[in-house]
Amino acid sequence: MPLSVSYTPNYYSLEDILATQERIPCRVAQTIPKMGHLNSSSVDVDLQEGTVMEFPLWLVNEVCVSRVPILNPDLPKIYKESYREILKADACAVDLHRLNLHFYELGSYVKKFDKKNDVHQSIIDTFRSRFRQLINLADNSISDPMVQQRLDTLERKLFNDAYKARVKLNIWLEHSATVIEAANMVVNHKKRKRINLEELL
Amino acid sequence: MDPDELEFLGEKSKIMIIPTFNKENIHLISGDLGPFRASLPSQVPLWVATLLKKQKRCKIIPPDWMNVEYLEALKEQEKQTSGFTRMPSDHYMVEAKLLLDCAPDDIPNADEVKVIIKDIWDMRMSKIRSSVTKLVKNSDFYAAVDNLTIMEINSVRPILPHALDNLFRMKHIEQPKPSQNSNVSSFLMSKRASTSFQLSNNEDY
Repeated sequence: MPLSVSYTPNYYSLEDILATQERIPCRVAQTIPKMGHLNSSSVDVDLQEGTVMEFPLWLVNEVCVSRVPILNPDLPKIYKESYREILKADACAVDLHRLNLHFYELGSYVKKFDKKNDVHQSIIDTFRSRFRQLINLADNSISDPMVQQRLDTLERKLFNDAYKARVKLNIWLEHSATVIEAANMVVNHKKRKRINLEELL
Repeated sequence: MDPDELEFLGEKSKIMIIPTFNKENIHLISGDLGPFRASLPSQVPLWVATLLKKQKRCKIIPPDWMNVEYLEALKEQEKQTSGFTRMPSDHYMVEAKLLLDCAPDDIPNADEVKVIIKDIWDMRMSKIRSSVTKLVKNSDFYAAVDNLTIMEINSVRPILPHALDNLFRMKHIEQPKPSQNSNVSSFLMSKRASTSFQLSNNEDY
């Protein structure tokens, strides 16, 4: 379970490449010469100021850092107020996988486009409130395979690692001539059903 | 870490046996064993004890804590407190598992002992689970993990450290300030690569 490359800038990180592929709606802040072909709906040679278009994040990131901005990026719709409200209401019920495959990663990038800086707190809160679901899922993943489908890539990775560790522990606990198991009374007591009985049998 | 690795660590703890054979010292890298005199108690690592027991060349004296009264009291104590009680051994689960596995005949009331230990384990595991979720949910600054044994700590790995790492990263990815420098230097300074979430090693790819 190494976490070795987690913090190092990894240029070839596939996650990062995939996340920065996402298109961001932008308004062109100044006329860009000879780039009219980017906008398929116009016949101009130059890309006119004020055009609203979508550009990939990796391009926007590099272009927006200059003092005179060429593009004015906007937040993607899934990080906007209305979606943030949904996440605030019940983050566990949301299908993050469908919103975006790299919800947290992309969020960390686009939060700088948010003037009021609400996105920052929103993604952290989302992660927090979904963590309980994640840990429960890792402990008894057989219960509902459909829930796994609704995890974002980061969560899925955490889930996979946790699930593997859990399976190893269960195997260790059960792999012996005499299994150390709970008393019958405890097993019959509904509240303690959580111990993985399915695998014991 | 694998539970098997932890078992390996736990096997180093000492235990008393009564050998049924005579033998001079055995010299090992980890230290000398013996000498063994038949029916005189001798202290050996757990792994030697289980080995000898399987060969039926010794009788194991169970550790002091491995009896029903003590464990019942411990269980009661565990039930009363919201924190964790101090366990009699850092590797209680490993010791219990190995000894109950190979020497149930040397432990009085082995079946009962087994059940109580499992109850204590379950209780502690559910305490861990609830405190871990509380920790992440309420963004507490610290968690008290006194008296947790290594096997129990391992049960929340890797999910807890990884999740906290990622929370930390999400919190600390900087908000880029309006650049004062020229185009080129700000281009170089852009922190693009530092926002890659990556957890496991490259074998996934």
